[in-house]
Parts: sequence; structure tokens; C-alpha cells
Amino acid sequence: MTIADSRSPFVTPVLTRRGLLKMGGVMMVSFAIPQLVAGDAAGGTSPDPQRLSSWLEIRHDNTIVVRTGRTEIGTGMSGFYAQVVAEELCVPPEAITLIMGDTDKTPDGGYSAGFRSGAANLRKVSAYTYLALLSLASQALGIPVSELSVTNGVVSGRSKSISYGELVGNQHLDLKIPVSGEPARVDSNSWNGMSGLDGLVVLGDPPLKPMSQYKVIGKSHPMPGTPDKVTGQMQWSCDVRLPGMLHARMVRPPTLGSALISAGALDKARFPTAHVITKKNLVAVVSPDEWEAINAARSVASGSKWTDWSGLPGSENLTKTLRAYKWGAPSGTRGNSAEVADALARASRTLSARYEQPYIKHAPIGPFVATADVRSDGSVTVWTHSANSQGLRAQIANTLGVPVEKVVVRWLEHAGQFGRTTFGGDGAEGDAVILSQLTGKPVRVQWTLQEDLAWSASSPGWVEDIACALDADNKIAAVRSTFYSSQSNDARIVGAILAGMPGSEPKPGYWVATEWPYDKIQNRLEEVYGMPNPGSDSSTIGLRGLIMRTPGQRQQNFALESLMNEAASSAGVDPIEFRLQHTTDQRLIDIIRATTRAAGWEPQPAPHSRAKRTGTEPIPGRGACIMIRENSYWMGIAEIAVTPDIGSIQVIKFTIGIECGKIINPRQLERCMKSGVVMGVSEALKEEVTFDTGRITSTTWSRYRILTMAETPEIKTVQISRDDKGYGGGSEAANAVCPPAIAAAFFDATGVYPRRIPLTQSYVTSLLKS
Amino acid sequence: MANELTLSVNGAQHIVSVSREMPLLYVLRNELKLSGPRFGCGIAQCGACSVLVNGEEVRSCIAPVSSVVENQVTTIEGLPAVWAAKKGLSPSDVAKSLHPVQQAWIDEQVPQCGYCQSGMMIAAVELLSKNPNPTVAQIKDAFTNKPPSPHLCRCGTYVAIIDAVQRAAEAMKA
Repeated sequence: MTIADSRSPFVTPVLTRRGLLKMGGVMMVSFAIPQLVAGDAAGGTSPDPQRLSSWLEIRHDNTIVVRTGRTEIGTGMSGFYAQVVAEELCVPPEAITLIMGDTDKTPDGGYSAGFRSGAANLRKVSAYTYLALLSLASQALGIPVSELSVTNGVVSGRSKSISYGELVGNQHLDLKIPVSGEPARVDSNSWNGMSGLDGLVVLGDPPLKPMSQYKVIGKSHPMPGTPDKVTGQMQWSCDVRLPGMLHARMVRPPTLGSALISAGALDKARFPTAHVITKKNLVAVVSPDEWEAINAARSVASGSKWTDWSGLPGSENLTKTLRAYKWGAPSGTRGNSAEVADALARASRTLSARYEQPYIKHAPIGPFVATADVRSDGSVTVWTHSANSQGLRAQIANTLGVPVEKVVVRWLEHAGQFGRTTFGGDGAEGDAVILSQLTGKPVRVQWTLQEDLAWSASSPGWVEDIACALDADNKIAAVRSTFYSSQSNDARIVGAILAGMPGSEPKPGYWVATEWPYDKIQNRLEEVYGMPNPGSDSSTIGLRGLIMRTPGQRQQNFALESLMNEAASSAGVDPIEFRLQHTTDQRLIDIIRATTRAAGWEPQPAPHSRAKRTGTEPIPGRGACIMIRENSYWMGIAEIAVTPDIGSIQVIKFTIGIECGKIINPRQLERCMKSGVVMGVSEALKEEVTFDTGRITSTTWSRYRILTMAETPEIKTVQISRDDKGYGGGSEAANAVCPPAIAAAFFDATGVYPRRIPLTQSYVTSLLKS
Repeated sequence: MANELTLSVNGAQHIVSVSREMPLLYVLRNELKLSGPRFGCGIAQCGACSVLVNGEEVRSCIAPVSSVVENQVTTIEGLPAVWAAKKGLSPSDVAKSLHPVQQAWIDEQVPQCGYCQSGMMIAAVELLSKNPNPTVAQIKDAFTNKPPSPHLCRCGTYVAIIDAVQRAAEAMKA
């Protein structure tokens, strides 16, 4: 994240807008001669971030164009950004048109995952603009700023008024925006092989509107993209059509490390307009006709010969492989080693457990697609749906060996991908630019589902050892956790690796991701280890790992919260009461109490007295967990039914609560909470990547199973909004609140604590028989 | 081999010159430039490509184009006209109105990424044509157990879809 301290950009300002202006202001406001609109600059350069018009333009009809390098990721980010800008400028959000993610039309870049850092930039730009507009209106109307007010973009005072549009006319506001930060670039010294991925940061502390005066934020304005998505008007990343464009289908090796011996022959009688394109291990078939490309690629694939390769451990051996790895020093440590060791040694009782999860997938419903136009003049344009356009741009420039100024990335919406492209690449863009360069024509590359599930990065499997010391009062005196996984930062571009072209070079490592919720547990030691991805080296793809929704914390919180549930049971205390005994954080306590009430939870230790491991009747169970993330406080309560003899679990109801500071849009937050629960239940019950020694084998929806509508529980939401804690991240993390609560509910029903997810039928059956 | 085929899509006749076995999806997208139906899995496992053929849901990613000749194909782009015809609306009203399922998808704010939602709305229209007042259990059953596969949403909008189907059912009774 760009902004380490979640609260700093959003504290209630000391200065008021008017107060600042009375002090003489901090900026010069003047009209400049109309210049080229940002984005019309020659070549592929990005708009100058120090110019206001690169961020925000006020049109004479009082509409506003806002530009951000961040993108919509399906959670409503575009709507939230529009609300933030509208609030600061005192305009309706419908007046705002957002331009997102195009590197030649937007100034900043950065991860699209973080609302708070993206919103911080737009909020400051809007606040600077607001000050400038008030100053201009004061001059135009001859009225002091202190007597002006703004409603719906119209500045009024002493019964005179003028709109923003009239003030600015057809000119540009000449306002300098202070920014810092480095552009994205491939950087072999960096952990993920890239630097500058945060994007630029707008500096300064312009006075922001106090939350107590909010009129737009906190209201459920509709999401701007919805009508186009519902009527078929939306142009998606898969809808790019260029003159002379070729369709490509890739012919992938049989394993994640095979080398090409010979590409299959193309039957020109059957496929007269198709061509086979080969560069090292990158093999594709291109054709002006998509159906011909599909069939010709199948034909070429069946005749292609590749070397054998078996660099993977096989998914059934994953835990063993992680256990056997020589880890060396941890890549991340937090806590007090000596005190924890001492507390564990002195404890009246200790509890230890080992939790684990296999590889899972981002698994977008739409396989990745990209279109590229690489021209003989050296210009490169890529149309795609990467969530970090500037990061991808830097990677493409690096792979093709062209200056970054020659590369333009254009962003369009596509299927949700949940963090897979946070570092830029992990799609078809590499294939597309290489094929366009080789053919001299625009090329559209559509991955198949099987290709997407087999060749994209995954969220790596992990194991965690965690132990706690219980004192004589049954309180936890110390916690020690050790997390092992492979690296989650491998955004190398598949096409570049296969073609033997340069790419980013990530380093093994991991990070302590939990935000510690239990301030009464002072003695804690968290250590994390990240090993290289299995089967990955500079010339092989292997099992690449990339972060996925609520990364790191999803995994580490599963272990911590499962331990809390097991410890509560050991202490004979209700699991929610046990959590309350270990925190004094009032925000956490508030959301725990509100969610507990909403779920109708009556205190009782787990497992329930009716718990049993056999039988054909469904046994009810319930479980809870909490999480603090990104200035947000979460609680989840699962109610499930376990039918032991058939090994089935049904999640009946899930109650989820959040306190995330000021809620931007309650309705969309509710939608994100409920949909996040669906993804979390899916992860808890079903999701697992399988692989043999050479390839991923879970490559269709019948082998990589995700939750269906019939399996979706009743979901109840609880929201607490407050004006004194800034904004929190609300749309991301609901998924991570589910698996620990569901595992705890399984324990409540059966008396057996599941230390692995997913809780598939075969795992549940073996667990209950053991 | 390429043949001239006459298709009826969203109420209009189109003559296309494509091979008879080409899946309908590629004809709709590449020949007719419709972006409603989308490529999801290509093997009838997700529902992102669904269209109506004579009012029945069909997975266009596997249906050969020759199988729909002489049938009425409807994508989400054509849903407003379907509703307008049913209600006897004037041409000027057609331009302004959406199918109640589409309106419900907006009102209930269903889409997140939205990639699967074209197929979801198609499934909803078919369901409501057969069962104008479905229970939650019946909605879940229709979107999950009807062959060839469940309609999948990775963003997890199932609850919003259930809300929207029920809202649309109410609107269509009026």
C-alpha cells in the first residue's frame, strides 16, 4: 500500500477550507491558455501528473471528467471514487465521468486493490480544485469566499450565483498538483521483480470536507457501470476488434516445463487462412477467423512434440514437500522471541496445532484475453483488463526491449480476477504483443478455460504451526506461529517465459500479514517463510504463486482464529466470550457484540453436547471468527449442518459484521459482503488445485469446483459506520472471515477440529473416521 | 464449409456465411457484433454464453449455428423488444424500456464484474416464463440443477440474483 498509516490521509482537518483561504491560500490560481487535453499527448507518454487537467477537468456544461490509473475490479471502486470526488467538490456523483486505467489518459497508476490509496489521491485533487474554484468564484462574483457556498456545482452568495462550468468556461484551470513516487519498472532488486507498483501519490494536506458535513458519501448511489453491463452496451476487454486483426489460440506444452521439439503441421487445405507462429516454446495459431484459429490450434496441438518434464511434487505430496524444504531464515518476523519462549516454557498448559490449505485459484469466469498492436514504428498498444496498467506497461516494455514511452496499455472491464494482476501481468498480454510483433498485425489472444486454470498463477498452498500458552486463569499468555508457503509474487508473463524473452524476476519470500486483534496477548512471535515456487525457474513456468483476495491474512488468520477456537474449547469458554477476554479494542468489541446479537448467539462452549461423529441425521454446529484489516473490523458467524455418514456439510446461515470507519455506500458494501461470503464458503468447502508431477489437472469447472447458488447460505449483514476513524477497506475481505468460522462450526457439530480446508466430502469422511 | 445461413436474432433477419458447425457464440459475437453473450468456458459448464432460442435457454458456446436456423434467437440486447412485444408497447416506448429482468438487475445492483450476468438474466427470463412466481428454493434449483451445468458466478452474486429474480417476478405481474 502506498499509505502505510491508514488514518493519516483522512483525519478531520485542522484547517477549514475557508480558514485556509483567509490565511492567504497555498496556491496560485489562474487560467491557462487551453492546452491539449490530457491523453492527447503525442506517443505513449502518460499525462503529466502535476497538471490538474491530467486528473480532473470541469466542462462548461458543469460535468466533470476524472482520471485515475486505478481500475474497477467489480466491487464498485468506480462508484466509490465518483462519490469521493463528488463529495469534496459538492456536485452530484452523476456529474462525474471516470476514465480509468488507460496509461496514455490517466496520470497515476498503482494497484487497483486499494480503495483507500486510490481514493486519497482523488480526494486531495478534488480538495485542491474546490479551493481554486471558490477563489475564482469570489473574484467573479465580487463576494468574499467566506460568504460563498456550493450546491450541485453552483457557487452562491448574496443572491448571486455561478456554476463551476461557467467559471471555467472552455479553459483549463492552471493548477499544479504536488505528487511523489516513481513510475513502475522492472527491478531485479525488488521482492516481486518490480518497483513503483504503488503508483504516484498526491502530496500535501488540502483541507478536506469534514465527514459531519457529508451529503454524498454514506448514501447508496447506484454503481455507474451497471446499466451498460445489464443491457449489453458494455464493451469488454474481449470485445476489442481492430482492422486487420488476427485471432490467436495458443498451443501450450503438455506440462509447465516442457520444451518444444517440433510444432505440429498445419493442414492448409483445411485451414487455408491460418498460420502457425513459433518462438522458442511459444506456439500459436493465428487466423483472421476465430473459429478457424480454434480448430487449427487443436489440430496443431495434436501433432506437436514436446520434451517430458516432471518438476512438480504432485498435489497429494504438497504438505510433505513444504515440511521437507530447508527453509533457512524467516523472511518476516514480528514479535518478541525470548518472552514467548519463556511464556510457553512456564505455561500451565500449552496447545499446539498445524493448519494447512492446498493451492487455490483466482478462477475468473472469463478466461484472460488481450489484444495487441505492435507497429513497425516501435509503438505498442495493448488492450486488456490488468488491474495494474502501469505495472503491465513496464513489464511489456521490458519484454519487448522498447522504451516504456512507446507502450500504451488500455484498460477495459472483464471478469473479476481477485488480485491476480495486482503486480501487472498474469494474462494473455505477453502472448499478444509477441504474436503481433511477429506477424506485423494486431492480434487478439483468447485463453481457454483449461489454459487459464492450468497456466495462470495460483494462490499457493501453505502450512502453519501455531502454539499458545494458557495460564492458570485459562487466558492465553503467549502465541507463537510459523507460516510456510511458496512465494506469492510471481507476475512473470507466461508468453515471455515461453518465448525466452526477458521478464521480471521475483524473489522468494513472504510477509507477516495479520493485523493483531488481541492486545491482551502481549507475548507473540509470528514468523513467515516463503520458498521458491515449485518447478519455476527462468525458463519454466512451474506453479507460479500470486496474491489473491485478502492475501496472506486470509491464510494466517485461518490459523490464528482456529487456534483461538480450539483454545476456547480447551478453556471451556464460549468462543466469542473467549475473544472478548483477550482484547480491549472497543471497535472490535463493538462489532463482535453487534454481530453476535444479530446472529442470536447464546453463549456456550464448543463442541456442543450433542456433537457426534457418526449418523445419517444432519447435526447443527456454529462457529465464529474475527479479523482486523485495513482499518476495518470484521466478525463472522457460521451456522452449518454436518451429516457425518455421507461426509456432507451445508452452510445454513452466515452472519457477517463490519465496522469500516465511514461507510461510502451501504448498499454496495452489503452486496460485497454477501458476495465475499459466497467466495469464502466456496474456499472453505470446495476449492483445491490438483496437479501431478508435470501439470495442473483441475482445469475445468467440474474439476475446480466453486460454490453454486444452491449451496449459498442465507447471509445476514451487520454494518457499523462511524465518522471519526476515516475510511476502511470494506469490499475485499469478507471471504477471509468464512473459513475459520465454518471450521469452528464443524468442530461444534462433531467434536473434531478440521485443521485443513477445503472440507470436501472425502476429507470430512476421513476426518470423522480417524 | 461456409454456407449462407439465415438467422433470426433479436427480431431481425441476418444472412451469415459461416461453417455450419461454428458455435452460435462466435456468430453472435464476431459476425453480428453482439457483446452480450460471452465466452466463459467453451464447454457448457458456466452459462456466460447463454441465449434464448425460441424462449429456451441454450449454451451458445457449444450449439452449432446450423441448429438455430429458423428459430428465434434472443440475447440480452433483444430482451427489451421481447417485453415490449408482450406488453404491446409502441416503438418509442421500446427504446426507453428495459425488460423487467434487466430493470431488476439494475435496481438490485446485481452485477459486480458482471461477466456472467448476461447468462444469468437469460436464465432468469426463461425461469420466469415457466414459473412466474418462483420460491427461493425454486430459483436456486433452476440456476444450479438445470442441465447442462450450474450457472456460475465467481464474484458470488447469487444472493443478489435471487433478490432480482423475485423483484422481476413482481414487476412482471403488474
